[in-house]
Amino acid sequence: MSTKLSTQNTKKMVTKESIQNAYIDYVLTEGEQPKSVYIFAKKNEMEETEFYQFFGSFDAIEQSLWTDITTKTIAEIKTQEVWGQYNSREKALSFFYSFFELLKSKRSFATYSAKKIHKGFSTPTVWQGAKSEFETFASEILKDGIESGELTDRKFFADKYKDALWVQFVFVLNFWLNDISAGFEKTDEAIEKGVNVTFDLFQRSPIDNLLEYGKFLAKNGGMKEKMGF
Amino acid sequence: MSEPKEQNSIPTTKVQRSAKFVSTGFKIGGNYIKHYSKKLFNPEMNNDELNQDNAADIYESLSELKGSALKVAQMLSMDKNLLPKAYVDKFSLSQYNAPPLSGPLIVQTFRKLFGKTPEQIYDKFELRSTNAASIGQVHRAELNGKKLAVKIQYPGVGDSISSDLKLVKPFAFRLLGMSERELDVYMNEVEERLVEETDYELEVRRSIEFSEACAGLNNLVFPEYFPELSGKRVITMSWLEGMHLKEFLATNPSQELRNQIGQAMWDFYNFQQHEMRAVHADPHPGNFLITPEGKLGIIDFGCIKEMPDDFYYPFFSTTSTDLLDNKEETIKAFRQLEMIHTNDTPQQVEFYYEQYKEMISLFAQPYMTGSFDFGKNEFFDNLYSFGERLARMPEFKQARGVKHFIYVNRTNFGLYNILHELKAQVKTDTFKPHVVVEY
Repeated sequence: MSTKLSTQNTKKMVTKESIQNAYIDYVLTEGEQPKSVYIFAKKNEMEETEFYQFFGSFDAIEQSLWTDITTKTIAEIKTQEVWGQYNSREKALSFFYSFFELLKSKRSFATYSAKKIHKGFSTPTVWQGAKSEFETFASEILKDGIESGELTDRKFFADKYKDALWVQFVFVLNFWLNDISAGFEKTDEAIEKGVNVTFDLFQRSPIDNLLEYGKFLAKNGGMKEKMGF
Repeated sequence: MSEPKEQNSIPTTKVQRSAKFVSTGFKIGGNYIKHYSKKLFNPEMNNDELNQDNAADIYESLSELKGSALKVAQMLSMDKNLLPKAYVDKFSLSQYNAPPLSGPLIVQTFRKLFGKTPEQIYDKFELRSTNAASIGQVHRAELNGKKLAVKIQYPGVGDSISSDLKLVKPFAFRLLGMSERELDVYMNEVEERLVEETDYELEVRRSIEFSEACAGLNNLVFPEYFPELSGKRVITMSWLEGMHLKEFLATNPSQELRNQIGQAMWDFYNFQQHEMRAVHADPHPGNFLITPEGKLGIIDFGCIKEMPDDFYYPFFSTTSTDLLDNKEETIKAFRQLEMIHTNDTPQQVEFYYEQYKEMISLFAQPYMTGSFDFGKNEFFDNLYSFGERLARMPEFKQARGVKHFIYVNRTNFGLYNILHELKAQVKTDTFKPHVVVEY
């Protein structure tokens, strides 16, 4: 497509998607972000203002791409007929599988975008939107799980369950980016294993019983002397 | 909540699997310590409790590993004559239930293979599996009013087979008392079969081929296969209604019915062995169903052992008295089967000739007469005690015999075991071995 010679009247409507696609095309071809919004806009024959109608910066485009995949995944899995039969563990698994299935079509972009991220404790800007979508979704299914008794409601900790899932998510994402197995089968295994382990921790475990036993002994401490310990 | 617990973690990387086996190793070590410390105080104690402890620990670790390791567990449990009873009892568990995998993973598998979810492909699909098939699991489904069984394979099974087998090896040679080098030939054979078993496309082709070839046999039923709904990791076939062997026996079936099932099984195996020279080599009870009409249903063609002529003729010819009465020719046949090695001394040749002759005439007993009563304990007691006697002989610490023996023995002893459990009286001259009298 030669863009230089095209005239005003053949100019396409600028939309959120058209900017997203143009941006992906640019970074994947050039290997870096455009030097300025001016250059990017000019190259794609739009006014700078048109760009700012949709996005404040290039990072905002990247953020929107990640967020969109996340919301699309959530919307899609909820329309699946089996959704209603799933418990929270399965709902989480379903999210993970579908997310990476969708992301497959944008793997090059995902690799490009994730590579720029500096490892650290805070969530990178480009993932912030995705994270908040993810957390809303996670809180929802975790709440259901706690209500149904599938998961244990632990004081202070139950609020942190969603963070544990996010950590798991970032882990699998990195795993997937480095996965070279055919059909990303290894990622499937990583998901099955990882999510299940995380949910095991949310469930009632021997630790809970141990803590309760400890509490009981502490409350009935007087017994100790009587028992002759 | 009687359904099996869904599996929470599959240790898949080699390190994790190793860790699993290492911990089993420790436990077994512990069992020995426990055993010998008890024995200090009670010299009368026999090995039963020790074996029981070991079997439980090995089983626990194997069933968590799933896949090929589970397959090895199944295989070991088939060879009842090779292993003490306690191992066998525990290992037999693995022939039925292994914990299922999650629903979303199944949906994912379908989407990858067909680009559709199971509910888009079938009219009805049950997300909870009905039972495990050791490297996969089986689900009920329905399409156009037809009841279906859908077998789904776990991801990554193919990849992990060889690393699994390497891990099983130390256990195998501890259990079987062989050296690692000798075990290699056999392990390779096992690996080859297991890799084939993970190829579901091959399995569908073979299932169709074998069920067509065996269609003329009496009282056998095969499911119908749907290649267009099958792929690398999924097989769709029609659902066979029926009971597993244990359930069937619990209904106290009449002698007549047991004979009918036993005969169908005998014909099925011997038709394949002697007419097709390739045999369904996985006769563990989970692969059969007994239908309400009193027919035998065969539901798994994953493991096929082909017998080349240079194995078939010498081996099955020794099951005939015509050959076995001729010592010189028999020794030639044994040499061809590598039961007698070229560098054996004359005394060794004599020794192995005697032992193998006894073994084969035991094994061939059902073939020698026109009909055979597998219900008789005597035959099996003889087999087991002979097996145990061999196991204790230092001469049999080293492995002998060509690699083909593994699956052919497994098939035939498996068959004998099932017929014994059925207490069936069987006409054994329906499909006779083809015999060559001179070597």
